[in-house]
Amino acid sequence: MTPAGFALRVAAYLLAADGIAALALAGIVGPVGLGLVGAGMLASLGSPRLAERLGAGPRLASALVGVAAVAAVVDLVYLADTVLDGLVHLLLFLVVARLCTLRSPGDARVVAFLAFFMLVAASSASFGVSFLAVFVGYLLLATWLLLLQHLLVEAEPAPRRVVLAGGPAGSARGLLVLAAAAAATTLAITAVLFFVIPRVGLAALPFRGKMGPLVTGFSERVELGSYGQIQTDESVAMRVHIPEGVADPDRIPDLRWRGLAYDEFDGQAWRVGQPERMTLRRAGVGPGDFRLAPPRGRGRALFQEFFLEPIGTDVLFAAARVLRITLRSEELTVDDMGSLSVGSASARLSYVVESELGEGPLTFPVRGRGPDPRTDPAFARYLELPRLPARIAALAREVAGDAPDAFQAAVRLSDHLSREYRYTLALERRTGLDPVDEFLFVRRSGNCEYFAAALAVMLRTLGIPSRVVGGFQRGDWNPYGRYFTVRMKDAHSWVEAYIAGAGWVTLDPSPRADAEADSAAPSAAKLYLDALRMRWYRYVINWSLRDQVEAAATIRRQAGSWRVTLASLPSWRDVPAWLAPGAALVLVAGAAWLWGARRAGPRATAVRRMPRFYARALRVLARRGLSPAPDETAREFARRVAASSPSRGAPFAMLTETYERTRFGARDLTPADQASVEAHLSTLSQK
Amino acid sequence: MGRTAEALRAVWRLFRPRRTIWPTRDGWWSLFAAVGLGVAAVNTGNNLLYLLSSMLLGLIVVSGVLSEAVMRGLRLAPVLPDELYAGRPMLVGAVLANQKRRVPSASIALEALRPGGAVDRAVYVPWLPAGAERVVTWEAAGLPRGRRRLPGVRVTTRFPFGVFLKAGRPLLQEEVLVFPAVGPPPPALLRQVGSGAVPARRRGRGADLHNLREYRAGDDPRLIHWRSSAKSGALTVRELEAETSLDMRIALEGTGARDPVRLEAGLSEAASLAVHLLALGAQVELSGPGIAVPLGRGRAHQVRLLTELALYAPAVSRSAAAPASAGVREVRIGLGR
Repeated sequence: MTPAGFALRVAAYLLAADGIAALALAGIVGPVGLGLVGAGMLASLGSPRLAERLGAGPRLASALVGVAAVAAVVDLVYLADTVLDGLVHLLLFLVVARLCTLRSPGDARVVAFLAFFMLVAASSASFGVSFLAVFVGYLLLATWLLLLQHLLVEAEPAPRRVVLAGGPAGSARGLLVLAAAAAATTLAITAVLFFVIPRVGLAALPFRGKMGPLVTGFSERVELGSYGQIQTDESVAMRVHIPEGVADPDRIPDLRWRGLAYDEFDGQAWRVGQPERMTLRRAGVGPGDFRLAPPRGRGRALFQEFFLEPIGTDVLFAAARVLRITLRSEELTVDDMGSLSVGSASARLSYVVESELGEGPLTFPVRGRGPDPRTDPAFARYLELPRLPARIAALAREVAGDAPDAFQAAVRLSDHLSREYRYTLALERRTGLDPVDEFLFVRRSGNCEYFAAALAVMLRTLGIPSRVVGGFQRGDWNPYGRYFTVRMKDAHSWVEAYIAGAGWVTLDPSPRADAEADSAAPSAAKLYLDALRMRWYRYVINWSLRDQVEAAATIRRQAGSWRVTLASLPSWRDVPAWLAPGAALVLVAGAAWLWGARRAGPRATAVRRMPRFYARALRVLARRGLSPAPDETAREFARRVAASSPSRGAPFAMLTETYERTRFGARDLTPADQASVEAHLSTLSQK
Repeated sequence: MGRTAEALRAVWRLFRPRRTIWPTRDGWWSLFAAVGLGVAAVNTGNNLLYLLSSMLLGLIVVSGVLSEAVMRGLRLAPVLPDELYAGRPMLVGAVLANQKRRVPSASIALEALRPGGAVDRAVYVPWLPAGAERVVTWEAAGLPRGRRRLPGVRVTTRFPFGVFLKAGRPLLQEEVLVFPAVGPPPPALLRQVGSGAVPARRRGRGADLHNLREYRAGDDPRLIHWRSSAKSGALTVRELEAETSLDMRIALEGTGARDPVRLEAGLSEAASLAVHLLALGAQVELSGPGIAVPLGRGRAHQVRLLTELALYAPAVSRSAAAPASAGVREVRIGLGR
């Protein structure tokens, strides 16, 4: 096998591996599939020898292809989960089969095409930045393979086609550089085309995006303590990008990502009771634009772009109070507790929310009017309690004391829990008491769920409507990408209490911040890498028509500012007169350089390639009035020299002969030649 | 109508692209894949499909740029044989020069065309460094007698990925003169010429000694006169006298207007005989309808004779043959009616 053939074979195997890696990273091929395909690829390395030993001819190969075709149909119709799975199985078989029969350069090209379709298949399920790695790898390898394959195919002899010797094999390094440059250029053009090709709406996320297992704590029924299982989980749940224009987003007080609200408590678990649910259809012609509430004009407006990791819940998270939400879905479900959910798994992986934040801490006493929860039946469900020990209600009354109104009572209860109880993730039960009872009177420590449940229960015992809300804390602020990284461990639970005149007020009794104060902040390198990942989500996975419009508007704005800058430049009349000669000199020098560069073309190349000794001989003869005419060959000139000056004819003829041998015969001067040349040159000079 | 068409053709010649580009089979696949992926991307909104589609389009753009870089600055200078003979395959050549200062040209093919424009044969040049040149030759099919235009060659490349065939305009479509086919004269003609030779008092290829002179490169070694060489110390050769009886007038009979096959055969016989006689040192005269080449010898005379025969075209009215030179034998060759 020639070195070029070997390189082609290596490139084909690497490309196949790249395609398979794309499928594996997208989760389409599991470990078993990877093992089988890997074994097939390994077997293909020794397949030519094996086929030779078995005497297997084309007939056996045809039979195998026939069997594979039948198997593929059976797989597509009966075995594979989806058509995509069936096609991927077929692709994998084809690539292994092609590697086994890798003979001609054309076979390697087929492998490149098959690997490309593997990337296409993987694109339907890929979400992470790992796709970028396999994409760039494919581009580099495919450029190299296609270039090499083309040269090998073209160099193959064919009838009525002559292949001249002197291929670029000797300049393999040059080819490698060319392939790398071609790949880099292709990458740049790809980037430009990717951002410029017009989109028709919001980006769709991979339709086969694998959802993670159902996340504990974000279902319609949550057992007390279930958050504890995920609050040690460091994996990222979502990233919340805050667009430019919001100053210090990390300092916004009480920023949380609200998810589900629970109104029913049975002593062991909170559940979503029987809320009124509405299914909203998208408003207007915009892509999935849902308007949920009008602004009140009292709080701060905040835009948030959510990029959820594929976690197993259909809940949409957002800062309360949500005014508007944009996502790629035809409908959105909203319940009367403000919980948002969407059925499409891929639609909830990315959405944009406009919220109106709370107007800050409430002040005593709360002024305003609203329905009285004690008489309004709509609040009855927020006051229901299971049978609980009487000491819980007694504790609530004791802590509330002589609070003048419901809000102050609620604040006193929340403060009491924060102050007197300890936050912990060690949630083992010690008694057979009700969980809230055990938390309040025995263990006196727990996680956010226990704090929230205890507060909600105690509020209800005082006749203050309350509900428990599940969501996430704000997470870690990443200044490199202007977003919050929210991890599973940030899952949080708090309470909303209804205060007449103020509405639903958020209370967070959990002293979690104190407990987590000593946790190490992520390093700058980690933040930067995560920002890169975020950019991939933001600018590749989620690039949409809206982004294109915004980019175009930014460019136009920038161009406008440049125009202003140019207009403000002084006119040429204002340039000092002493600068004029210098500018003219620079212009003339530039023009001369350009003219020289144009003139120095083939002639300059010819002069460069002329051996020095011959140039010296020409100079010697020129001093004696003998110069070659433009259309005169070296031999003709030598004859003319011999005719006009016989004494110089012989040495110059010898020099001409040596010149022709070295320049056109591509042979270097030997030491003997050099000695002879020097002798002739001195003869030529002396006479 | 004719003027308009001519004007349109002139405008087309003015603005026609310097190169044509056409997808190969793999190129069509790539284009279909790019368009198909684009449609899928629009329908699904999946940005990764946009990315893959953009990559295919990017590869196509890079392919176009690199192939242009390869083709740019290539110059082709013809190297044609001095004489072309009808029906005889010829060795045609060209000097392919890469006039670029830095960029080499890779994977270039010179495609020799047939008269209809189809590719007859190709020469593949894998690598041509910047500033280098290379002589490329190929065998071309013989052309019919007369003034003809060579079908030309075109420079093509599928570089770098083999997805597009980029081709320059046909070059080397030179006008050439094709002499009649020349071969050994038919035996019947040779019998007419006969062998009764008498010396003619000039150099030739007869049997009698004309002169002795110093040996020159290219002389037949059989003509070395060893005795004189031994005496003088320098190689000496014999010059022989020509034989007068070989001087010949070739008279063409008939016009050949109605029998092209016979016409070509007759002209070929005349050319073959003339070349044969001139090679023997004889003088040859040619006469026929509209042709009158006086008695002469040598290389220039041979070219003149062959040119007359190459350009001969039967016309309705032709002047009669010129009278024969005195004392010259005549051979008649029929051209048909």
